[in-house]
Amino acid sequence: MRALRSAGRRVGGRLLASLPALFGVVVLTFLLMRVLPGDPAVFFASGPTAGQEEIEALRKELGLDQPIPIQLVRYLGDIAHGNLGRSLTTGQPVMTDLRRRLPASLELTFSALALALSLALPLGILAALRPGSLLDHAVRLVCTMGVCVPTFVSGLLLVYVFYVVLGIAPDPTGRIDIFASSRPEITGFLLVDFALMGDWEGWWAAASQLILPASTMALFVLAPLARMTRASMLAVLGSDFIRTARSLGLAEGRVIVVYALRNALVPVLTITGIVFSTMLGANVLVEKVFSWPGVASYALDALLASDYAPVQGFVLLMASIFVLVNLTVDLLYGLADPRATAA
Amino acid sequence: MRIGRRGGLRGLAGAAALAAMPRDAGAQTRAETLRQVTGNTINTLDLTMPGATRESFGIGMQVYDRLVAFGKKPVLGGFSFDHTNIRGELAESYTVSPDGTRFTFRIRRDSKWHDGTPVTAEDVKWSLDRHVSANSLAKSQLQISNWVSPDQFRILDPMTVEAVLAKPDRRGLMNLCVPYVIMINSTLAKKHATADDPWAQQWMKENTAGGGAYTVESNRPGEQLILRRNDAWKNGPEGKLPFFRRIIAQTVPEAATRASLVERGDADLSIDLLASDVPALQQRGRVKIFSTPIANGFTHIAFNTRMAPFDNVKVRQAIGAAMPYEDMFQASIFGRGRKLYGGNWSELPPDASFPRPMPQHTDLARAKRLLTEAGFADGFRTTFSFSAGQAAAMEPLAALVKEALARIGIQVELQKMPDAQFNTAQAEKRLPMFVDGATAWLPETDYYVRLYFTRDQRWNFSNYNNPEINALTEAAQFELDPVKYEAMCRRMVGILAQEMPELFLWQPNFEAVMARNLEGFTYQYYRQIDFRDLSRA
Repeated sequence: MRALRSAGRRVGGRLLASLPALFGVVVLTFLLMRVLPGDPAVFFASGPTAGQEEIEALRKELGLDQPIPIQLVRYLGDIAHGNLGRSLTTGQPVMTDLRRRLPASLELTFSALALALSLALPLGILAALRPGSLLDHAVRLVCTMGVCVPTFVSGLLLVYVFYVVLGIAPDPTGRIDIFASSRPEITGFLLVDFALMGDWEGWWAAASQLILPASTMALFVLAPLARMTRASMLAVLGSDFIRTARSLGLAEGRVIVVYALRNALVPVLTITGIVFSTMLGANVLVEKVFSWPGVASYALDALLASDYAPVQGFVLLMASIFVLVNLTVDLLYGLADPRATAA
Repeated sequence: MRIGRRGGLRGLAGAAALAAMPRDAGAQTRAETLRQVTGNTINTLDLTMPGATRESFGIGMQVYDRLVAFGKKPVLGGFSFDHTNIRGELAESYTVSPDGTRFTFRIRRDSKWHDGTPVTAEDVKWSLDRHVSANSLAKSQLQISNWVSPDQFRILDPMTVEAVLAKPDRRGLMNLCVPYVIMINSTLAKKHATADDPWAQQWMKENTAGGGAYTVESNRPGEQLILRRNDAWKNGPEGKLPFFRRIIAQTVPEAATRASLVERGDADLSIDLLASDVPALQQRGRVKIFSTPIANGFTHIAFNTRMAPFDNVKVRQAIGAAMPYEDMFQASIFGRGRKLYGGNWSELPPDASFPRPMPQHTDLARAKRLLTEAGFADGFRTTFSFSAGQAAAMEPLAALVKEALARIGIQVELQKMPDAQFNTAQAEKRLPMFVDGATAWLPETDYYVRLYFTRDQRWNFSNYNNPEINALTEAAQFELDPVKYEAMCRRMVGILAQEMPELFLWQPNFEAVMARNLEGFTYQYYRQIDFRDLSRA
């Protein structure tokens, strides 16, 4: 009970401490967007008769005719009320767009991460158990390949092989078959929603759309995860307590999984946290190739159009997620290694 | 406790399933559904909203009717719009007074809005009033033909509306056909109007109040929009219903993916594939390709005519003579388009049409001579800009420009700029020389010249100011006599050819790649798909 309370206090403290950082991120992004030379009013006022008058009108509607400090104060006020502004690119409030698109990105990232971990952990452990063996080299080769090939190349390659040539993958456009009549709207995570409804046909349809993009991303992050597992396992396997456990005659499986792996997990957790956050923001190429309606491609489109509000909203969202992920990782340290809690 | 939660979830799921159930699932077959894939998005359902994307114009044409509409004429492989042949759309018929100032529109007797209420003259009047009053794209568009005040629109009887111009205008009627001039169910829209927003502009961004051939079934901005046919629609040519019951307009950002979707037959139509992919698709022959030069547009190199050294007409002419037009045409758009250079005339063009091939020819010796005459025998340094969004076509062109101008001593630095930055610099007239495309909705010679070569406004790319051109364009708009009009237009085009504020390059092809069984594709001046014309064999 006391442990729980102290954990709660720690979480609260950490969240509170992250507020100044989030504030800094908001202000910085706000200023950065305005320093960039593109003018959203000019870009969007591109109708065949769009004259100076129309540009001015649009600028006024966006509040861009005001001095920057006033714009900033207004923006901060809006954020306090949960209003992130309106996107010119989609014509929707940014909050609505992000709420609709974040589950798509998260579902993809979680699936890719699960896939990557399920491959990276065994591969890393195997490579660590037989360093310098053929297996170790094979794992190194796979990892190097994965990290060398850019995601849009591997993505397009997978599309070409499995959709265009073999025709076994569904068309790579979004999260669900376009001709399917309905999709559930409960959590926004399609796999969860279909499972809740017990619609296993729909579940499979959504899963099959997910396989190629998730594999593309998993391939890319395989390397840091597998390499980190290997290095960390090597260090732990050489330590005294493993030698002791072995000399006491404990079963090899028990030594590796319970004693070695658990101790080797802390750096792997750290890297997983970082990989997760990076994936969420950096999977823009995967989202583009597979027409995945996620937050990263949304932010990129907005950036190209100098559409301020969505970019600012996206950066704020990413910063918040980063805070949460780091917190989760810290809490998980405690599970992997009870000594970490005290620190 | 646990069972309770599970039961709750099941109840929730059941409710969601009911809510998600389409009203008449399975009513349409795949054959009656058209799936379009595009790289762009629809950002508003009210296409008159400032900032509306071109894709929004296309959807607006399907959801809303106008009083009048352009006809179409056959071109190779399909049809093209015909702005000289105007038919009634929501209007059953119209008459024009002999002096060309009074237009009387009879509304179709049995016309209904999507909600089933009948169309009245009140609705038409309210819609027209909105377009000249509310702060929207329609307002500036209608201004060009002097539709400026609600007083110009009068209700004669419950089914007849009259529109009056102060003086006859060549584009008075034509301008009522453009996408912006939508007819709105005023009773419905007024319900959502507020004191701050008397024209219901906020509500209409996300909702529709029309009576067009299609209704919006669902809209997920940035992902897909689904249209459903309005089976009560009677305003098409000969009152015919469109073939397709359902239209899916889906955003697929990657052009290569769009190409494989259409080629594999999973999607039916795309109009924004990479120009470099189209010849390969054509060769493999699994799709049908409709290609026609963008007859109402042109690709051009603009000089800032108020910035040294481009304020010197001889410098412009020198560059005009240095350009390797033929190589540029092949490298940039693979020769897929209509050339606007190499015209065999001088002084005055043979007729009033525009854009047309201009007397621009590659002649290095002449280029060198002109540059020397201009006082730049040793050349000079400048920049040449293009937007990243058009880089696929413009990058090879820019390299050729750089190489060609180096031969006459002009050192060019190439600038590839993000689209928003490029547009901003262009609008602020900060670029000395750049390449871009231009189109006009109402393809009349004097209108092109007025839009692109007069006044201090955004589309005067070359920042051009020529008193004779200014006077000619102002007079030509109101000139109904075809002989006098033609003489004026030939003079304008002659001046442009001589003065070269811009170099005209070509009209690139508009390429629609579609399933082989699709028929009836019509090229529209707003460069979107008119789904109402399409059918599947």
